[in-house]
Amino acid sequence: MKLSLPKPTFWTMVLAFIWILGIYSAFTRFYYGLGTATNLSDQFPWGIWIGFDILVGVGLAAGGFVVAATVYIFNLKSYKPIARSTILTAFLGYLLVIGALLFDLGKPYNVWHPLVMWNPHSVMFEVGWCVMLYTTVLFLEFLPVLFERFRLERPLRIIRSITVPLVIVGVLLSTLHQSSLGTLYVIVPDKLHPLWYSGILPLFFFISAVAGGLAMVIFESYLSARAFGKELEFKLLSQLSRIIVVVLSLYLLLRLQDMGSQGALKYIFDFSTESIYFLIEVGLGVVLPILLFLTPRIRNNTAGLFLGAVFVLTGFVMNRLNVAITGMTASAGVEYIPSWMEVAVTASIVAAGIVIFRYAAKYLPIFSDEEPMGVHQPPLVAAGKSGKVAMGILGVILLAMVIGLGIGLTKDKLPDPGMRIEAAVVQPAGSLKLPDPIVYEMGESSPGAVTFSHENHVDPSAPQCKTCHSGLFKMRPEKAGALGSIQMDLLYEKKQCGVCHDGEQAFNVEDNCEVCHVAAE
Amino acid sequence: MKSAILTDLTKCIGCEACALACKEINELPVSAPMNMLSAYTWSAVEHRNGVNIRRQCMHCEEPACVSACPVAALEKTKEGAVIYDAGKCMGCRYCMVACPFGVPKYEWDKSIPTIQKCILCHEKALSQGKEPACTSACPTGATIFGERAALLREAQKRIDENPGSYVPHIYGMREAGGTSVFYLSAVPFADLGFPGNLKEDPYPKLTWKVLSKIPNIVSTGGVLLLGIWWIINRRIKLQDENPPSV
Ligand code: SF4
Ligand code: SF4
Ligand code: SF4
Repeated sequence: MKLSLPKPTFWTMVLAFIWILGIYSAFTRFYYGLGTATNLSDQFPWGIWIGFDILVGVGLAAGGFVVAATVYIFNLKSYKPIARSTILTAFLGYLLVIGALLFDLGKPYNVWHPLVMWNPHSVMFEVGWCVMLYTTVLFLEFLPVLFERFRLERPLRIIRSITVPLVIVGVLLSTLHQSSLGTLYVIVPDKLHPLWYSGILPLFFFISAVAGGLAMVIFESYLSARAFGKELEFKLLSQLSRIIVVVLSLYLLLRLQDMGSQGALKYIFDFSTESIYFLIEVGLGVVLPILLFLTPRIRNNTAGLFLGAVFVLTGFVMNRLNVAITGMTASAGVEYIPSWMEVAVTASIVAAGIVIFRYAAKYLPIFSDEEPMGVHQPPLVAAGKSGKVAMGILGVILLAMVIGLGIGLTKDKLPDPGMRIEAAVVQPAGSLKLPDPIVYEMGESSPGAVTFSHENHVDPSAPQCKTCHSGLFKMRPEKAGALGSIQMDLLYEKKQCGVCHDGEQAFNVEDNCEVCHVAAE
Repeated sequence: MKSAILTDLTKCIGCEACALACKEINELPVSAPMNMLSAYTWSAVEHRNGVNIRRQCMHCEEPACVSACPVAALEKTKEGAVIYDAGKCMGCRYCMVACPFGVPKYEWDKSIPTIQKCILCHEKALSQGKEPACTSACPTGATIFGERAALLREAQKRIDENPGSYVPHIYGMREAGGTSVFYLSAVPFADLGFPGNLKEDPYPKLTWKVLSKIPNIVSTGGVLLLGIWWIINRRIKLQDENPPSV
């Protein structure tokens, strides 16, 4: 195997262009900060890096767990030929999502903190754990491909023996993770537009991820078949399209029903920006593909199948972006449009995914399920010894999570410390609570002590604290040195008190010593 | 004892003494505008519809931000303050998304940014038994500090004694499950940019309803999947052993 430099074709040029912009953007983002590189703001703290890279990226990787479950748990072995490439896509997808996350996090070097700093009440905590665990599972699920490629017989046998427990854990983690991305938005009932907000958003995220993941399988099988001249598993894919119809119909029904119960149906046709985006999302991405896939002529035709999948994916992408961006715009009060650098980073990440997939497809046995070296693969091994061990370990991890959650749940409010803070003194209306007079220490040549009185300086009907604070004088004299020392030289230079006491705004300091200085008796 | 702040907007003269005092004690740049909250202004004085409105973190009783933070960088202290530990924070900004009052702000201009918000002077005043810088600086007593229950009583008393001068609503008493910063006003709060129609149930409850089901999902799902696999696998095995006679 020799990796030669790709020839400068049109696509390699495009790729190089995207990556150059991506590298520049990455530098800007990490060197100058998020504000310079992105159009994010205090009003709009999450943009396309969350909306597209994370929400869409994770969702499209859902094909991995759906197909794995189909093949290994429901034992529909006919789907096996597409299992490997879907698992690879999912694995790559998750790696790229983690990559994207590092761009978005303000302190990416703290990305491991959820491992040791627990907050089981946080959805983001769940998301973090799911990403870490499921990426590990996907890696393990993908390992057989590597072992086969490099002819490692023993590890291959071990990993195969734990296939089923792995897949089960993978399915559970995916279910949690797909839904938890929806749960993230359950805490913003007032911010997310009612066309998208729902208390069961996690369920919608899960169901739509199943449909999106399956569509991704069709999409990608079609493209790889073309690219690598492999035969398309047409029958399988056509069957998948029927499953998509069922899933999407269920999704549509549930969503409409939920919107009805929340009184959100009236927003569908009010033709606001939100309603238009919603109509495109559901019309193009849910209703149309259902109709397409229901038509045998389209379903039984490669191009038709591909087209249907593209619509499902469009609807899916739009849904996630609508939740993350369109639906949050009105409450944010500002319009968010990603900066070119945000787009460049996202494009670079997607491009990286495509390139890695191509290389993997070229050099690794992912389009077949060959069994080299006569390793007999038991169709579905009962969990063997190592399988049991793995199951045990995973069980312990799950148990730890459950216990952690339990502790988080029962952790009660902290006890009353009995600390004493004096209750507020209520001030009568119309009166001013001014600081006590300030007695300045006398300097060596001072003709007499000076006492500053707020009462003499403040008009009670319109106090102008800003005239003196904090530019000229600090507010909190208890802070050592905050008062500073007043020096006559400075006053003559129109500093300190001299700013106002210049003979115009207030009496002149030069001729009025005795007004402030009171000579000792 | 739980501490709180009561801000009576009818008494506020817009002098910005509170905002300045906050900047001083927290060493924030005075140059940043004081009429809106930002990473560099934790206590702002807005001017809307002829009313001066002092803004700061509400220090919710059950804060959405605290429940949202994956690494427990935000914490509700026993004294009532919601404080922040920049060392733990990983910068996901979920707290900003989750806060129903839009309080946490970010240092967008820094390469290593942190979350910035009012921390009720926890370390520099509260934990030493002193009152926060902002309330101690207010010359009119428009914003006062005290015990939560006592301040609520005081607020109710003002409304009862001067029914004409206030809208009959203590903002913060029930919003988002109750906060530790209360407002009184003569103008309806909705006209002053206060988020209206907030849930009276604490926000963390919304997500906890879902999160608390995880153990169930995991255990039921695990058993279900194992069961399905076992049944299907067994049937196939039986079939292989006794191929159905044709
Ligand atoms: S107002 Fe926002 S930032 Fe302040 S405690 Fe409540 S949720 Fe947290
Ligand atoms: S940005 Fe920091 S403080 Fe806010 S939720 Fe994320 S980790 Fe917690
Ligand atoms: S309590 Fe402290 S941190 Fe909060 S606004 Fe007042 S001075 Fe600033």
